[in-house]
Amino acid sequence: MGLLTALARGLVRGADRMSPFTSKRGPRSHNKGRGAKQLGVLTAGRKFILLREMVPQFIVPNLEGFKLKPYVSYRAPEGSEPPMTAKQLFSEVVAPRIEKDVKDGTFEPGNLEKYGFEPTQEGKLFQLFPKNYVR
Amino acid sequence: MRLSALLCAGRLRIPPGYRHGTWRPETAAAQRRNPPGQRRNKIFVEPIAREDWKVFRGDTVQVLVGKDAGKQAMVTQVVRARNWVVVEGLNTHYRYVNRTAKYAGTYIASEAPLLLSQISLVDPEDRKPTEVEWRYTEEGERVRVSLRSGRIIPLPLRERRDGIVPEQWIDGPKDTTVKDALEKTYSPSLKTFEEEIMDAMGIVETRRPKKSYWY
Repeated sequence: MGLLTALARGLVRGADRMSPFTSKRGPRSHNKGRGAKQLGVLTAGRKFILLREMVPQFIVPNLEGFKLKPYVSYRAPEGSEPPMTAKQLFSEVVAPRIEKDVKDGTFEPGNLEKYGFEPTQEGKLFQLFPKNYVR
Repeated sequence: MRLSALLCAGRLRIPPGYRHGTWRPETAAAQRRNPPGQRRNKIFVEPIAREDWKVFRGDTVQVLVGKDAGKQAMVTQVVRARNWVVVEGLNTHYRYVNRTAKYAGTYIASEAPLLLSQISLVDPEDRKPTEVEWRYTEEGERVRVSLRSGRIIPLPLRERRDGIVPEQWIDGPKDTTVKDALEKTYSPSLKTFEEEIMDAMGIVETRRPKKSYWY
């Protein structure tokens, strides 16, 4: 039984070199972060200015009368609806409006904004492409 | 590498010459019997394809060989790697458990595993041993059919590992009821989720982020 089998049996010689060197290890002078984002700007003179816009806020509507809870009962059956596609969204929301206008005769191909068409994403707060919000 | 690799054994890798016992590979008893680096003589096992496996936990089977030959009981454990089936209360030998320095231990009966060739599935109405085959019903469902009488042997109910029986579950205070969970409240709209919340809460945001470029 050579050295390799003795090691393989779980006899660890020395410290574990492969575990990550986190902020929980090392001397008191070892100051390391754990990957939190910088919420401001570090200026000259090593002064840190906190920017209120970068601090995340939870926007939570009023949950009075909200029936969904954190967990789902085990008795609920499995199965779900197919995910919403762009085609399905169009056919449910926009297509009926266009059909109604075509039947009334007020359909204008040049004015598609009233059905939700957006020629550019400039000027919008939540742009769809390139996506500028975090979901 | 050794300690952290042993600690993060999420998905256990079973080495090729592993000798399977009646314990699960992650238990202490199995790890004691199969330390890493152990090589044992090969045990030859009749290869049975995954789709052809017929015996499941909870099935009633009859033992054909041994001192309990002719008796029927339920299957409590299946070890597919060795074609083993452990039947409740049959093919037992006796041993002592929980032995300490002062106490000799409790004398209990422990079941030994039986091979698939020593076992036979039982017709549900006849209650006699039969040969069984996998066949398809007219609806397309795959079922086990007894060859002698043609009756379908239903699959035993699969119990959950955590012991919860969904039909008998009592909802706690943090559980959404089935009616609320299945309610369809989605109304499709062209607004994004964030825009809908802003409209609902009356938040007006006129500032726009500064334009920036990246490569």
